[in-house]
Amino acid sequence: MRRWCFAVACAVAGAAHAACPPDPADGAAVAAGPVSLAWRAEPGAIVQGEPFSLLLKVCPAQAVLTAVDATMPEHRHGMNYRPSLRALGDGRWRADGLLWHMSGRWELRFDLRHEGSVHTLRQDVALR
Amino acid sequence: MKTLRAALLAAGLLTTLGHGAAQPLLDFTAEERARIAGHGPWPPPRLPDRSNRVDGQLAAINFGRLLFFDATLSADGTLSCASCHMPERAFQDGLPVARGRAAGLRNTPSLLDAAQRRWLGWDGALDSLWAASVTPLVAGREMAASPAQLAAAVRREPRLTTGYRAAFGAPPGPDDEPVLVDLGKALAAYQATLVSGRTPFDDFRDALARGDTAAAAAYPQAAQRGLRLFVGEGRCSVCHAGPAFTNGEFADVGVPYFVPGGVDAGRHEGLSRLRPSRYNRLGPYNDAGPADPQAVTTRHVAPQHRNFGEFRVPSLRQLTHTAPYMHDGSLATVEDVVRHYSELNEERLHADGERILRPLRLDVKQAADLAAFLRSLSTGGR
Repeated sequence: MRRWCFAVACAVAGAAHAACPPDPADGAAVAAGPVSLAWRAEPGAIVQGEPFSLLLKVCPAQAVLTAVDATMPEHRHGMNYRPSLRALGDGRWRADGLLWHMSGRWELRFDLRHEGSVHTLRQDVALR
Repeated sequence: MKTLRAALLAAGLLTTLGHGAAQPLLDFTAEERARIAGHGPWPPPRLPDRSNRVDGQLAAINFGRLLFFDATLSADGTLSCASCHMPERAFQDGLPVARGRAAGLRNTPSLLDAAQRRWLGWDGALDSLWAASVTPLVAGREMAASPAQLAAAVRREPRLTTGYRAAFGAPPGPDDEPVLVDLGKALAAYQATLVSGRTPFDDFRDALARGDTAAAAAYPQAAQRGLRLFVGEGRCSVCHAGPAFTNGEFADVGVPYFVPGGVDAGRHEGLSRLRPSRYNRLGPYNDAGPADPQAVTTRHVAPQHRNFGEFRVPSLRQLTHTAPYMHDGSLATVEDVVRHYSELNEERLHADGERILRPLRLDVKQAADLAAFLRSLSTGGR
């Protein structure tokens, strides 16, 4: 079974976390400027060639998640699927319809709109 | 004399050992072992298809088996599913391209393990085994029957009426299309039982995983070396991943897509057929409705420019029983396939980024090793 692990740790903005600290139980944290989010995959392990979802917690809670995508930068291709997003309330979101069909480095990308600006958060995940 | 006797005894002993003893196991690294373990175990747990209300039910399996061999289901009564999907040929036909009512453009795929596929058909135009069963019944090049003809046969022929009632708990209704779809679902219930057997590779993989070096060493060294190439330098497992040796998606591997009269657009065409189909998992005939967990990929699949000329990454299981190879059946032997990847025409490939595919440039021994490994993915393969 192929599983994922983090390849790169991303800097976390202290100011955003002071206002809305992510709970470690919410998963991996990533931040850019005034926004941050934490995510975890459902089911628990990302398996090559199997669809999965992401459960996300965005901070601050009023930030709007507008896109989730993933690409393989070295291959210059992305997923064959376009995820759908659903707001669950209180800054929690669900992204369905992801599928990583090759092993290697994937770059997850999250677009968050907050106070009139769009912030892009990126995180590398190695699918083995 | 004593010396000669001793030499003969030693030779005899060595011969005995050599005959029965295992060959050395290659020094697979932890990374290689993990990759090898990822190609098992086999068979995988059965995945129920909630879109088919009779999936896994014995009466439907029996009815589906009856239908599979019944030529009544074709327009002129001469073709059954088994005409192309022959049980004695691993449920394919051994021909480069299919021959139904008319010559086809693509190779007939084996039905073994078909229930595990997310997308069916070389272009993935079908997202369930029942949809993949309905389509050839009415396709002009294949069995070319009409829904009305098929439904009438089920209502008229006692063996079909009885089988239908046993499978679905009621006689066929007055509308033709639901009867057609039910035939597909019974056929799918039968085909879901067609699971390929364990192979020499599976025994090796399991032995390696449990640390049974002696049992693992029974796997031929040539196959071991070929496996090392497959999961390593050759990068074959990037696409031919997991227990089924496929990632279930689509790729352009440099096989020409020109066909008589035009081009075969592959996945590009498949997606254009999938979306409007009434028989897809988002349509009215999904018995689980929106709750079908397997509909998630149909709901989210997104067309890509590169889909043009891409074809489904096939499983490599039972490879020696499913020649010829590629979507157009253009490669006759396992050795031809190895040569194709060894001498890949790079100019023919879409390569916007890193070359996922590149010519392997195998020497004679490496090519033989890779072929030996690929042969070990078949029942009885050595």
